[in-house]
Formats: sequence, structure tokens, C-alpha cells
Amino acid sequence: MTIWSEPRFLPCGDRALSVELGDEITRDINARILALEYLIHQKRLPGVGETVPSYRALLVYYDPLVVGYAELTATLGGLLAEARPEVLPPVRTVELPCGYGGELGFELEAAAAKLGLAPDEVARQHAGADYYVYFVGFTPGLPYMTGMPERLTIPRLTNPRLKTPPGSVSIGGVQCCIYSVESPGGFWVLGRTPVRLYDPTAPDPILLRAGDHVRFRPIDRAEYDAIAAEVDAGRYAPRIAGPATTR
Amino acid sequence: MMSELLVQDAGPLTTIQDLGRPGHLRVGIPASGPMDREAFLLANRLVGNPDTAAGLECTLIGPRVEFTDERLVAIAGADTAPTVNGAPVPAWQGLRVHAGDVLRLGPARSGVRGYLAIAGGIETPPVLGSRATYVRGRLGGLEGRALRKGDRLPLGPVGAARPHRLHPDRVPAYGGEPELAVVLGPQDDRFTPRGIAALFEGPYEMLPQSDRMGARLKGPFIEHTRGHDIISDGVPLGAIQVIGEGQPIVLLADRQSTGGYTKIGTICSFHVGRIAQVKPGGRLHFRRVTVAEAHAMLRQSLRALDGAIE
Repeated sequence: MTIWSEPRFLPCGDRALSVELGDEITRDINARILALEYLIHQKRLPGVGETVPSYRALLVYYDPLVVGYAELTATLGGLLAEARPEVLPPVRTVELPCGYGGELGFELEAAAAKLGLAPDEVARQHAGADYYVYFVGFTPGLPYMTGMPERLTIPRLTNPRLKTPPGSVSIGGVQCCIYSVESPGGFWVLGRTPVRLYDPTAPDPILLRAGDHVRFRPIDRAEYDAIAAEVDAGRYAPRIAGPATTR
Repeated sequence: MMSELLVQDAGPLTTIQDLGRPGHLRVGIPASGPMDREAFLLANRLVGNPDTAAGLECTLIGPRVEFTDERLVAIAGADTAPTVNGAPVPAWQGLRVHAGDVLRLGPARSGVRGYLAIAGGIETPPVLGSRATYVRGRLGGLEGRALRKGDRLPLGPVGAARPHRLHPDRVPAYGGEPELAVVLGPQDDRFTPRGIAALFEGPYEMLPQSDRMGARLKGPFIEHTRGHDIISDGVPLGAIQVIGEGQPIVLLADRQSTGGYTKIGTICSFHVGRIAQVKPGGRLHFRRVTVAEAHAMLRQSLRALDGAIE
């Protein structure tokens, strides 16, 4: 596991390339990826289209009729010198209510047994942490996060589920994720948030962004149902600290 | 009366598509859009539409639709033996239909994805700047879903366009075994020389589990150096992902935005549409090209596309 002294530029067909800064999952590397992405769009680099940040790489689409591969990699290489976390806009912290255990967190007890902790203690430790969103993807709006206490590190499920309900708050390895649409899954489901991470009917369908922080507020079943009803009626907005606008 | 397209029969998977919604892959929303972009563009141009107009994409079996006014239409892509009021009509050229006419696209005799462009375009409400349907995300198109019998699609106003037709020698033949240009990377260093040689030796067969997310292929074993897991990263259109069994999956219009499997190479943009026309059981080949060669081929294919219509 390393941070490379020089970025690696890797071709992805005729219209995209990948910039890799290392092969480990660290906040430092990821912050540089997000900063590079931010600068690319802020400077409106000619011929550059959409970008996809991930843990340690940035996928960059480009129009080869406007900018060539060598020219683009040279420009990106130069931009990397400026790509420090300080260039990024202030971070947001999004608070998500989460019902732990029971029907909503149907694997809390099994995860607790695996970890040798009481279910309440797993929920308490999980809800007490500050989570960092490295990137959003795989399915629309799904955040890839770390931040859990080390004690909650847990191997992924040996047999992935075929269906996981949207909103499922789950853990695997050192990661925490929230399923955004019904999908297969290999993480342990500890709870569920009634908030929609992806809402195709909303003007901005995606709640979380790369670089956001997430905190979970434990709620009981009654409050879960009450918030879910508000969400259905389009009246619920999660509490967001920091700048209100997304980037 | 409002101009509409009446869906009498939808076929197994017919969706509204336009050129797609790039820009949201960073939050996990794929661009979607036509699986065979070239055929889709040509269909629009044959009726004088702008490239951005929305039309229909059907899969293996086409829809039956009725028109409520006079306008130009064009059928492109898979050979679906189209008929108007039961009489065969040619594909790859603008046709004039009238109120009450029923157009039917049948089962594909060759190819998989058929396109129907209608002068004026389909005017369902755009979502995030596009009318393309992303069924898994319930986004765009008509209520984010595939079309059903009884759907009524609003059509845009028509100008005084004249019908065009494709040069006969430019009509694609989908029956053969296409050779697709591939640039190695981003994770070609995770494969042995023997694994890379296997990819380009081929051939690979299209499996029936393929869909708008990805084409699952079966063929020579592609050998990894050390496992198939990577730290998840962005998945480009046309990426050839190789999973544990050494078999490729090509990621397409509705793909996941990121993934944790090694990607040996990427099919060039101008050849991605060809894989969308290979039927289950059909075979294809990969040919290695450099980035510079790919860019030269792209320019050539764009020129050819611009000169394809008379």
C-alpha cells in the first residue's frame, strides 16, 4: 500500500482516462482526488467532460477532438500541484436519523454476536462516530464511507443477500454504506434511515456528495415511521450543517 | 388535438431514449441513452430531427404503435421487418405516416436493438436534462419505466423536413462476428501476458444474461496476476471487466458508476454500439489498438457518420 510520488495516468478507451494517486484508502489521497476534480471543473478545462471520483482515482472523460491524451495528462499533472484539500469548499455534515436493530436493522444481532459485543453497544458505537464520504456511486446516491470505531471492523457476509431495502445502514470491513436502491449486498445491515439518499422524483435526486460528513442519530420505531411519513409527503429535510448548497 | 404516439403493444423492453444525461456518473447515475448510438443518431437524421431528439429503443422484439397525425418516421438498428398497416416498409430511410397508421417492428431478424425516430421527437418531461430512460433508477422516459400497452407519448411539433435515406452501402450488417477496437487499461497490469493474449485471440460469445447494464461474454480464460479485486474506481463506458472466472463483462449505457473488479481494457466509443447488436449466442472479437490509433479511428467514424445520409 503506497502513495505514489508521481500520478499514474491510465487510458480508458478513446474518450476517458484515469488518474491514480496511490493504491490505498486514505482520507489524504481521496482529498487530493476531490481537489483535482474540483479544480478541473472550476477551471473549465477545454474538452473535459464528466468526472468520477473514487477512493484513490479520478476517471476523466474528454473529447479527443478538442484535447489530446498527452496534452490532457500534462495539464492534469500540472493541476495536481495545486490539488490540496484547502481548495475544496467547506464540508457539510449531514445528520441521518437511523432506526437500529429489529426489522429495520435485521442483522444487528448477528453482527453483534460476530463482534462479541451486545447489540445495543454496537448501535451505540456506530451512531457515535463521524463518517466521511469518499465518493458516491455504484448505484445512484450510495455513499462509500469510513469512520467507524476499529472495534466494529467485521468481515463481509459470506453469502451476499439478493435484496437489501433502500436506506439500509450497513457495515463491512472498515466501511459503512447506506444502500440507496433495492440491490444485492454483502454488508451487515445494522439499521435503516427513512431519509431517501436517491429520490428520482426530486429536482436534485441525490442527497450526499463526495467529501460530506455523515452522522447518525438513533431513533426508535415510532420516530422512524413518523419521519418516513414526512418523507413520503415530501415534507422532510435532513439537518445539514455547513454550506447548504451542493457542489 | 395533441399529437401522440399510441403504444398498442410495447414488446419486452422498449424505452424512450435520447443522447443521455452525462454529468451525473459522479453521484452514481449513468448517462443511459441508446445502446447503439450510431444507429440512433442516423434514425434522427433520417427524419430531419436534431441529434438530441428522443426516440424509442426496442430490444429483440419491437413495439406496435399508432400515429395521430402526419409526420416522418425512420427505423434503424436491428432488422425488425417493419410494416405500416401490415405492408412491409423499408428501414434506414424517412417514411411518411398519417393519422391512424399503425407501425409495427417485429422480432429482430438480425441485431438486437431497434430504433424508431419520429419527426418532432418524443416530448416526455426531461429529467436532469434528458429524456433517456434509466429503468433500474426509475428515472427519465415515461415514469422511469419501460413502455407498456396503452401508453400515450406526447410528440413535438414538426417542421417541413423532407425524408432522407442512408447510402445503401452504409446499412450495417449485424449477422457477422464484429471486431471491436480495444485500448488496454486501466488495469491491464493485473493480467498475465497469456491472459491478454487470450482476450485478443477470442472469440467471445454473447450470453443471454446481458442487458443495458452490461454484456456478459464467454470465451477463452483471461488469467489474472493476483486476483480480481481492486480498490473500487470509476467504470468507463465499454470497460471490459474480468471477474473471478476469467470471463469478461462489458459495461454499457446503464452500468454501475464504480466497481471493484479489474478492467483489462475499454472498447472504443465508436465500437460500443456494435456489441449492443450481437445476439445471445453470437460471437465477437477484440482487436488491440493504441490510444493514438483509437483517436484516428474515431475521427474517421465521425466523418463516415456525417457522410452516411443522402
